[in-house]
Amino acid sequence: MIPLAYELLLSALLFCIGLYGVLARRNGIIVLMSIEIILNASILNFVAFSSYSGNPSGQVFALLGIAVAAAEAAVGLAVFLSIYQTHGTIELDKVRFLKW
Amino acid sequence: MIENAWLAWLILLFPLGAFLVAGLLGRRLREGGGHVAVGAMAVSFVLSLYLFVQVLAQGGLGGTFPAQTVHGYIWIPSIGGNGVSGNDIEITILLDNLSSLMLVLVSFLCLLIFVYSLGYMHEEEGKPRYYAEVSLFATGMLGTVSADNFLQLLIFWEIMGLCSYLLIGFWYRKPEAASAAKKAFLVTRVGDVLFLAGVLVIWNVFHSFRFEEIVQKIPVLWGGAYTPQLALLIPLFLFGGAVGKSAQFPLHAWLPDAMEGPTTVSALIHAATMVKAGVYLTARSFIFLVPPAALPLEAPTVAILVIAVVGGFTAFFAGTMALTAYDIKRVLAFSTISQLAYMFLGLGAGAWLLTHGGETLGYTAALFHLFNHAFFKALLFLSAGSVIHAVHTNDMREMGGLARHLPITSKVMLVGSLALAGIVPFSGFFSKGEVLSATFEAAHEAPVFYLLYALGVLTALLTAFYTFRMWLMTFHGEYRGQGHPHESPAVMTAPLVVLAGFAVASGLLAYGMNGFGNLVFFGEPHAQMPLVGVPLAEYALEGLTLGVALLGIVLAWSVYATRRIPAERFTAAPSGAFLHRLLSRRYGIDDLYDAIGAKAVAGLARALDWFDRNVVDGVVNVVGRGGLAAAAGTDAFDRRVVDGAVNALSLETVRASWRLRQRQTGQVQTYAWMVVFGIVIVIVLVVGVSWFLRLQRGG
Repeated sequence: MIPLAYELLLSALLFCIGLYGVLARRNGIIVLMSIEIILNASILNFVAFSSYSGNPSGQVFALLGIAVAAAEAAVGLAVFLSIYQTHGTIELDKVRFLKW
Repeated sequence: MIENAWLAWLILLFPLGAFLVAGLLGRRLREGGGHVAVGAMAVSFVLSLYLFVQVLAQGGLGGTFPAQTVHGYIWIPSIGGNGVSGNDIEITILLDNLSSLMLVLVSFLCLLIFVYSLGYMHEEEGKPRYYAEVSLFATGMLGTVSADNFLQLLIFWEIMGLCSYLLIGFWYRKPEAASAAKKAFLVTRVGDVLFLAGVLVIWNVFHSFRFEEIVQKIPVLWGGAYTPQLALLIPLFLFGGAVGKSAQFPLHAWLPDAMEGPTTVSALIHAATMVKAGVYLTARSFIFLVPPAALPLEAPTVAILVIAVVGGFTAFFAGTMALTAYDIKRVLAFSTISQLAYMFLGLGAGAWLLTHGGETLGYTAALFHLFNHAFFKALLFLSAGSVIHAVHTNDMREMGGLARHLPITSKVMLVGSLALAGIVPFSGFFSKGEVLSATFEAAHEAPVFYLLYALGVLTALLTAFYTFRMWLMTFHGEYRGQGHPHESPAVMTAPLVVLAGFAVASGLLAYGMNGFGNLVFFGEPHAQMPLVGVPLAEYALEGLTLGVALLGIVLAWSVYATRRIPAERFTAAPSGAFLHRLLSRRYGIDDLYDAIGAKAVAGLARALDWFDRNVVDGVVNVVGRGGLAAAAGTDAFDRRVVDGAVNALSLETVRASWRLRQRQTGQVQTYAWMVVFGIVIVIVLVVGVSWFLRLQRGG
């Protein structure tokens, strides 16, 4: 049995990696991947606590989270695809048409 | 007992290590880590051989060798729900006759093809990617054939599927390769979903994935959880997976397109190993198909017949499509589908024979054909690769007369062609003849096998014809292309020569081993069999197969070499032209699949569009008109009374907003920073306030 603290630390680490990616990377796909990492960090928390407390409903939530993540990735990629088709780039600092 | 059985893990871990090394460090290594991949594979081969020799000594040459499991670790501990306990899911390697034979076969072929790749892929870009992916593939295939339970088998099976996808799309900048990869992945996925369903049903019934435990539980659960319906369903589901992986009708469409990948990949994955996994899976599912004779269980006859009929039909169906292909690799791809179908026919007939009298002929013959086919089809593909390497085209219309320029390749390919056509004493003759004999034997009780036998013999004719059409178009006559083709380097021809040796010898191996059946049966021992089953006893049947194959070669010779029978006369006739078009377009099945995809999806989209325009928009418009009328009423009031007050306010708002909207840069990451800062401030506030409160209360 892995101690709960290790799993939480791993999850926090993943969260920070993901947060760093979201804030600092310019490529939209990588930002999307980083968001997935953040999501997975939270899913890991679900699983960790579920295994710690012996309550399986956390695992159900984890599965739900994975399904949502898949849908989110599909929508996100579709958005980037159409941004790419209209603007020819997915560099986030070049995509600045959503402003006054 | 096998000594040092733990070495079996290293067989899997070495290619996995090569995958990591080539993938991570390949760019800094010579040949993109190719030497690492070859080295790792060589170690795997030596270890496989070491274990195989022990198995051979203890059980393969007569006597009984019980399966031995090499425990790994418990992957998913039993949670003990539903009153079931002790059903941990463990990652374990199974060593029995069949799996140790397959380990040797796979690692040997992988080794030869990796060596060949050093020459073939020498000038390509992306070699680290190539060697990483083929090494991972090797891990997947070795894991598939050594899996101890269905779940582990499924996992490695999917790893292979992934690698197949990646390697078909190796030249991913080429649109054909990218779409072929996608097609292969999606079509095999249909089968994989069925396989997954089968695995889930197995778990639901037996609460175990392990072959051994399932065999033990079948008699206990029969009539209870294991109903006759499930006994039919499980092998059909597993066969569904096999149909997808082994490209049988109706999921055959991906394999010809998969030829867009490098030829080494075609040889390794789409001829010698991965497509055989379906046959292997069906062989393993004999624990469902053939219940032990001592027990009063019904055999799932329908499932057995489905396997045999799909096999018999696909053999003929794919054989016909090979007749008109001009792409040298596609001819071989269709031929692979056709030969795999022979194996399924053999397995179907074998299961039928085992359940009706216990003859082991068909099962042995099918796996014997698998064994032989792996050698000669790898040989043919690699020879084709050598030809393509020399002339830089796949189109046989631009080849011809290459025997002069490629002396070694032409000779080894002739050996492979003779083996594929089934000419004595090349290996294909023995196993194909045995498969057909088994089908004929099975027909004594089920007349449908007579039809399948006839299809099989016709296919043997087609096989010999298209094989020699291919060989003659490539190597005979005058060179029709441009440039000066050269023989490939020794690093490519050496594996070819080795494989050619096996294409001759592998058929005779069974004679030295006290019957091939000893090597491939698992569970109940079936030792001391004469040779392959009926040891050429049915000379008439073998003679017929051989005669038909010779007839095919003679036909090919007179059409493509001497041109005594001009092919143009056949295609000039309307019916002949129709047939030619039908075969060239692969019976329109690929078009049909595309059309189903396009029509169904586009139709759904059109229907939704119609709904959107008429229903949703209609509702919105009605609501909008109502809103308009209400607005007109309030408008008058609004203008006179409210506006005065609002105008003054709005003027200020506009000014404020002008300043605020400067902050809205359109840069999402700026927003993200703001969100993060906001969260940090909230956290600091919450923590700070609670700390302050506690301080007050406690202090």
